[in-house]
Amino acid sequence: MSEDVMFKGSRVGLQLILNETADFGNIRDQLKKKLESALNFFSEGTIIKVAANRLTKEQEAELSLLFKRYGITLQAVDFSLQKSISRKQEEIEAEIPGIRETTIINKTVRGGQEIICNGSIVIQGNVNPGAKIIAGGNIDIQGVCRGIVHAGAFGDSNAFVIADHMMAMQIRIAELVARAPDHIEKTKCTERAFIRDAMIVIEPVHRLGAG
Amino acid sequence: MSEVIVITSGKGGVGKTTTTANLGVGLAERGKKVVLIDTDTGLRNLDLLLGLENRIMYDLIDVTEGRVTYKKALVRHKKYDTLYLLPTSQVKDKMAVNEEQLIALCNELRSEFDYILIDCPAGIEQGFKTAIAAADRAIVVTMPEISAVRDADKIIGELGRADKEDIELIVNRIRPQMVRNGDMLDMDDIDEILSIKCIGQVPDDELVVTSTNRGDPVITNRNSEAGQAYRNIVGRICGEEIPFMEFLEDGFLVKLRRVFGW
Ligand SMILES: Nc1ncnc2c1ncn2[C@@H]1O[C@H](COP(=O)(O)OP(=O)(O)O)[C@@H](O)[C@H]1O
Ligand SMILES: [Mg+2]
Repeated sequence: MSEDVMFKGSRVGLQLILNETADFGNIRDQLKKKLESALNFFSEGTIIKVAANRLTKEQEAELSLLFKRYGITLQAVDFSLQKSISRKQEEIEAEIPGIRETTIINKTVRGGQEIICNGSIVIQGNVNPGAKIIAGGNIDIQGVCRGIVHAGAFGDSNAFVIADHMMAMQIRIAELVARAPDHIEKTKCTERAFIRDAMIVIEPVHRLGAG
Repeated sequence: MSEVIVITSGKGGVGKTTTTANLGVGLAERGKKVVLIDTDTGLRNLDLLLGLENRIMYDLIDVTEGRVTYKKALVRHKKYDTLYLLPTSQVKDKMAVNEEQLIALCNELRSEFDYILIDCPAGIEQGFKTAIAAADRAIVVTMPEISAVRDADKIIGELGRADKEDIELIVNRIRPQMVRNGDMLDMDDIDEILSIKCIGQVPDDELVVTSTNRGDPVITNRNSEAGQAYRNIVGRICGEEIPFMEFLEDGFLVKLRRVFGW
């Protein structure tokens, strides 16, 4: 069950990362599977960027067609040129549709499942080990979080992750990463992870309106 | 009314085939008409567990490809005359059976059998998708260890994607001593991740292996704890409320905590 395709949030937008050694047939099949999975919530008009030197023109055209069926535009870009451009948060937000919207998912996200959303995500259930949540905005897990979460995936360093029990394998906010300690105890109260002084910190929090 | 139940796990070697054979015999002991379909192409061993290897004339693929009728391919059990096996092919291509063919076959079998149990191959590839396609109900088998539970979690996710909502869990090869020492996941740990209804807790039991070698599933052995656990599962499948048993070890009573909902 190895993965040759991966979606990643970054300041240049949502990126499609392809395994260097994987052949195109595998890449296409795995992408199809990911897109078909009912748990990927790409907003209409989402742009996904892929390294220009990774695909031939024909392959690029084929994948473009595949993405188009899900309302997604595939853009081949030269990342080496893009890196130097530092963009403001407003510019990023203007480019990403639905970044202000919230998607609610009312079930447990299981290992191997992935939820990608331009906006914020509320999960009414657990996020199990091996599950992955990527949000342009915030992530609120009303359950136990044991998976990988990435909030502010397009660079919003004000984004945060809240969970009833924060036991995440990895927490990413904007460009920062925090890894779980090797032994995680089950937490007793709701916690919030956010960036303070260029570090991810986790603090107990009371949910607004939580009864 | 007949039911199609798929027995699946994600990880291999956790006891799918053992479970299928035991539940088949247990249901037949209760007088139910049962057919076991082996879909683990290339890894034929359900026939071995039932001691029917030497009676196989045709296999599942002969049936789905229309070479023979299913009635011709069914192998009747020596002891239980309401128990039948539809063996898998040991040599033919894994892709040889597709979802539509298996659904059509199960629909035919429904008129004649109370229970149709499908032994599923490991993994989440095409063989898995084919095996679950016809199922009304799924039983996920796992073991009390992290990698098996993670794979079970993935499988439950995949079953959900295929709109299979009726999913139940069997935890196999439990070693009470290890659970007690904290060296093995306990039922609470497993339930916390998987959160589906548990219908069986089967201890690790040497008698499972010896009975396998004899082609006579352990469920018929009244002295085996695993046998008792399987008989309880059969009862629960038939809709009875049976409390979970306590395992005996080292003279201590080890109580496995009851799973939520039971
Ligand atoms: N409860 C048990 N106690 C002891 N051994 C077991 C038990 N369940 C299964 N086994 C053994 O584990 C091995 C794998 O079981 P099997 O049913 O073939 O797994 P699968 O079909 O999932 O690959 C077999 O050798 C079997 O005898
Ligand atoms: Mg097997």
